[in-house]
Amino acid sequence: MDCYTANWNPLGDSAFYRKYELYSMDWDLKEELRDCLVAAAPYGGPIALLRNPWRKEKPASARPVLEIYSASGVPLASLLWKSGPVVSLGWSAEEELLCVQEDGVVLVYGLHGDFRRHFSMGNEVLQNRVLDARIFHTEFGSGVAILTGAHRFTLSANVGDLKLRRMPEVPGLQSAPSCWTALCQDRVAHILLAVGPDLYLLDHAACSAVTPPGLAPGVSSFLQMAVSFTYRHLALFTDTGYIWMGTASLKEKLCEFNCNIRAPPKQMVWCSRPRSKEKAVVVAWERRLMVVGDAPESIQFVLDEDSYLVPELDGVRVFSRSTHEFLHEVPVASEEIFKIASMAPGALLLEAQKEYEKESQKADEYLREIQELGQLPQAVQQCIEAAGHEHWPDMQKSLLRAASFGKCFLDRFPPDSFVRMCQDLRVLNAVRDYHIGIPLTYSQYKQLTIQVLLDRLVLRRLYPLAIQICEYLRLPEVQGVSRILAHWACYKVQQKDVSDEDVARAINQKLGDTPGVSYSDIAARAYGCGRTELAIKLLEYEPRSGEQVPLLLKMKRSKLALSKAIESGDTDLVFTVLLHLKNELNRGDFFMTLRNQPMALSLYRQFCKHQELETLKDLYNQDDNHQELGSFHIRASYAAEERIEGRVAALQTAADAFYKAKNEFAAKATEDQMRLLRLQRRLEDELGGRFLDLSLHDTVTTLILSGQNKRAEQLARDFRIPDKSFPTGSGG
Amino acid sequence: MAFPHRPDAPELPDFSMLKRLARDQLIYLLEQLPGKKDLFIEADLMSPLDRIANVSILKQHEVDKLYKVEKKPAFSSSEQLCFLVRPRIKNMRYIASLVNADKVAGRTRKYKVIFSPQKFYACEMVLEEEGVYGDVSCDEWAFSLLPLDVDLLSMELPEFFRDYFLEGDQRWINTLAQALHLLSTLYGPFPNCYGIGRCAKMSYELWKRLEEEEDGETKGRRPEIGHIFLLDRDMDFVTALCSQVVYEGLVDDTFRIKCGSVDFGPEVTSSDKSLKVLLNAEDKVFNEIRNEHFSNVFGFLSQKARNLQAQYDRRRGMDIKQMKNFVSQELKGLKQEHRLLSLHIGACESIMKKKTKQDFQELIKTEHALLEGFNIRESTNYIEEHIDRQVSPIESLRLMCLLSITENGLIPKDYRSLKTQYLQSYGPEHLLTFSNLRRAGLLTEQAPGDTLTAVESKVSKLVTDKAAGKITDAFSSLAKRSNFRAISKKLNLIPRVDGEYDLKVPRDMAYVFSGAYVPLSCRIIEQVLERRGWQGLDEVVRLLNCSELAFTDMTKDDKASSESLRLILVVFLGGCTFSEISALRFLGREKGYRFIFLTTAVTNSARLMEAMSEVKA
Repeated sequence: MDCYTANWNPLGDSAFYRKYELYSMDWDLKEELRDCLVAAAPYGGPIALLRNPWRKEKPASARPVLEIYSASGVPLASLLWKSGPVVSLGWSAEEELLCVQEDGVVLVYGLHGDFRRHFSMGNEVLQNRVLDARIFHTEFGSGVAILTGAHRFTLSANVGDLKLRRMPEVPGLQSAPSCWTALCQDRVAHILLAVGPDLYLLDHAACSAVTPPGLAPGVSSFLQMAVSFTYRHLALFTDTGYIWMGTASLKEKLCEFNCNIRAPPKQMVWCSRPRSKEKAVVVAWERRLMVVGDAPESIQFVLDEDSYLVPELDGVRVFSRSTHEFLHEVPVASEEIFKIASMAPGALLLEAQKEYEKESQKADEYLREIQELGQLPQAVQQCIEAAGHEHWPDMQKSLLRAASFGKCFLDRFPPDSFVRMCQDLRVLNAVRDYHIGIPLTYSQYKQLTIQVLLDRLVLRRLYPLAIQICEYLRLPEVQGVSRILAHWACYKVQQKDVSDEDVARAINQKLGDTPGVSYSDIAARAYGCGRTELAIKLLEYEPRSGEQVPLLLKMKRSKLALSKAIESGDTDLVFTVLLHLKNELNRGDFFMTLRNQPMALSLYRQFCKHQELETLKDLYNQDDNHQELGSFHIRASYAAEERIEGRVAALQTAADAFYKAKNEFAAKATEDQMRLLRLQRRLEDELGGRFLDLSLHDTVTTLILSGQNKRAEQLARDFRIPDKSFPTGSGG
Repeated sequence: MAFPHRPDAPELPDFSMLKRLARDQLIYLLEQLPGKKDLFIEADLMSPLDRIANVSILKQHEVDKLYKVEKKPAFSSSEQLCFLVRPRIKNMRYIASLVNADKVAGRTRKYKVIFSPQKFYACEMVLEEEGVYGDVSCDEWAFSLLPLDVDLLSMELPEFFRDYFLEGDQRWINTLAQALHLLSTLYGPFPNCYGIGRCAKMSYELWKRLEEEEDGETKGRRPEIGHIFLLDRDMDFVTALCSQVVYEGLVDDTFRIKCGSVDFGPEVTSSDKSLKVLLNAEDKVFNEIRNEHFSNVFGFLSQKARNLQAQYDRRRGMDIKQMKNFVSQELKGLKQEHRLLSLHIGACESIMKKKTKQDFQELIKTEHALLEGFNIRESTNYIEEHIDRQVSPIESLRLMCLLSITENGLIPKDYRSLKTQYLQSYGPEHLLTFSNLRRAGLLTEQAPGDTLTAVESKVSKLVTDKAAGKITDAFSSLAKRSNFRAISKKLNLIPRVDGEYDLKVPRDMAYVFSGAYVPLSCRIIEQVLERRGWQGLDEVVRLLNCSELAFTDMTKDDKASSESLRLILVVFLGGCTFSEISALRFLGREKGYRFIFLTTAVTNSARLMEAMSEVKA
């Protein structure tokens, strides 16, 4: 490992920068990079290329092709661009490709070139065209900022929740700014733009001129500006070949550098590590790459090919037609261990382990040296940490082996940092693989979190790997495996070439009764893709009827929903469906449906009894249920009518119904009641006193008690009261 | 002479936890509406609420005034109104009218509706239709199990019976399943489950589904209660329709026990005041006589009185120190016992007075004749006379139903004439009651000859066919042939009497009906527990029209202790009577089990009949 630091380049006294190859690209690029619109997503994300025919003098007649590659150059999608001219491409935080068209329409594509949606950046743009656009990331999501032909800016800080903000006018702006960028400060997005020697900051209220402190004199124009990954720092490149670096608030200058190159750079990006004191920017020209920082000298690289810079959290990715490299500041732990002639504990431990493998007694000497200083725990920790920052598995292994070796001589060293690093590296190496092509560094991975990484794998349809990772890390099923399987199933239902049966079976086979998987969600997705039949099949697997019903209703399978609701035994659910059906069907059909579902019918009847009496009558009518209809009218005779005629009329209707129901007993009894009522009325008129609503017996008794024996006997005869039942007047 | 429990009888689980849970939840809900508020309580919920949280607890949580939910409008000046109601549509209309009246008056207040035990969608819909849904906030007080006694849990839902067995409304089944789920989370899973009846089966299935959805929680737990038995009330209407002669049942029939307490009127208290008395195991006197046949109670009480007197008498000849001891330690207990004793003696006297007036012996004789199935003509005549004499509309109706069920329906001639006489005697509005009773299968007409059996077998096949599922109620009443006589023979419900049945030393559960009849429901439970399932009871199950509706589910659970395996939870869907409780308590003592009762409500014949009656609006 003598030459291990061969690719380390010092910048000033305290920092080293190294550039190493991530992948050798064998993408089959048809165009030169310089002829394309390029967008590469951070965190080792995908690369989108669109040959830009619209900017050329002679517009090509052939439609351009939009191509999406993984970071390792594996093609993910390729589609013929049929829409309008594109000004700019960019990736959102959810790894969706945003294509800003000249007419202000933004088309959103998925990782696999599937069209998701589109939105417009406002009507104003229609006339003025979009001159330039930037996609930027904020804590709310991903934002889009555009510069229109009228030299006005419009931005939206979150495309997921689109709110367009038209920025104030810059006074006296006649031509397009020489460079501009979106800034994000205090949760608000601003625009910083350069016009000649002046800088302006646009917030949503005002436009203010700003001056960077300590800017060298003689600047007549700014050619490039770059904001750091975290929006904390800003770099400006002037026409004098001078670079100013400071805070994004423009309150403080960090350093400056004069590179003496007046040609405008192609790209300028920040290259810094979180929590590092070193600040540096990488500037790229056609054939030259320069790292400049707070040092009199810069680091220079020669570029053999057209290259493109992708700023990352802890460095810069540089890709070209044939390679994909990573340029970053060497992390502290690595520096301590590998710096030439380092006596850091980690370095000694690594040495000791190597000697130990060579079966040399020097191992003991090194070890003793560390132990005498009592630095073995730090040594182990350093090796573990350094392993995390190494890209090559061999080097990771040898560092981890050293850590493990050192651990043997420690009584109480908590094992979790070692174990966790081993696990993390395993995951990282797996996703860095050429076929997967997500070249995450350890710091990026920690920032991104495992959940998001899993989401990204799912987005790339790498379900098996995602599941393997879940199982390997023993993530709880609901967050891990089940979630991924559910995503897989949602993808599966979109495969239109597979039959409904096969899809449903395949999904059920894989998912089974995995906890946390909702078949109704998958079914909802299937319905979303227009596969209603498949959705119904999938719902069959849903164990909770309560979950089936809402979707069935949405799919207009109300009758099926009704039987599912009944199956669930949840009367509230049944009721929900009933109300739905009531609005959906005409009355006759609704009643017919009820008729076949006695449970629902009883429920609805109960409701009607209290709330919609008329409907209840209609229900009975529909069913030709004359018996109940009779009862209904009898009830009505008590409830509504005070006047005797009304009551008698209601009773007559009831009696008719009873006859229709072939219930002669009830019909006769009702007729008797009518007779009795009329009679009682007469008695009240003739004799006074209260007779109405007495029972027959009580009427007779009352008559006897008031000495009307004749009438009493007449009554008993009329109503054929059996002799033995004839009241004696003593009240029984 | 009160039967002591066998020494090996298992301990009952502590159900007071249910009370604490309900109280805490209610307090939480009240706290959700901070500040002073007036509480409107539905009449039916007042007694249960009182058992959970008394007025002072309510006051502590800033309940200012209490109102009863009534038909008439209430005048509350509070800025916040809280309604504690059952999920009934009429309550919603009441609340809506209050809110709308406020709106007209331009008043804005906060309204909160707490539904107990749960809210129904229909209720919210009515609120919406009345245009007040946005003005009120709704909450649920999942208070579904009230421990009335150490071994008796009641859901206090008397409407369950009518809603399900008459109207075919299944909404309470969910409530019941939730309640069972709560029990299994608190007291561990039930390793052995049995049940019979459509409602029992549905409740059971829903309950199991709930457990599956929330799996894990109960699995690891040790079962505290070894068996659960679910039984539909319509499996056995006969027992519920009989006059009760066990003390507790008799008190219920005479004075109506409401939510575990009874109002003894002046005729009992022998003062000019009524007295509300809590009847449960804590009342020592009551606890000893509650399960006794009434004929023993008086003797027992007088013996008790003599003992008490003797204890008082010990005072004589005490020196000062002994006297001091006596006063400080025993006197209070004796006084308490004295008070209770005089109350129960008063109650007994009052019962005796009422019963002799009504010719109780004759009535009981008729009932026994009906149960045994002899002298049907005579019994029918008795019922006719009963109706003509206008003894009591509910009682007459009860006897008619008893006749109908034991005889598999009335013969057409009697069916007509009894009904006619009933309508003439008690009023024509009962025509609707008859229609209800027919629908519920309580009062039916014998169809002539074999034609019925053909139809019946077809229909019952339909009913049991799972695909046909829940067949219309119009059909089911047809299928509900009671077959009481055959079942009675099969299960030996009428004990053969050699000489006098000694009610002091009961031989079997028949003692709760003076030795004339073993309650059918209790016999079914006894048989199933003995056989650990329905094996060998196929014929009975068929006669009960429940071929597909009897189920057993036994899990091999080694964790169940032998103690827990002798604890049995019996769930009565549609209510149970105190006679049934007494009978099973007796069975438990005989076999070394302890029964725990869960009922939708405690019922008796009068309550059943009233539930079927149509009252004039």
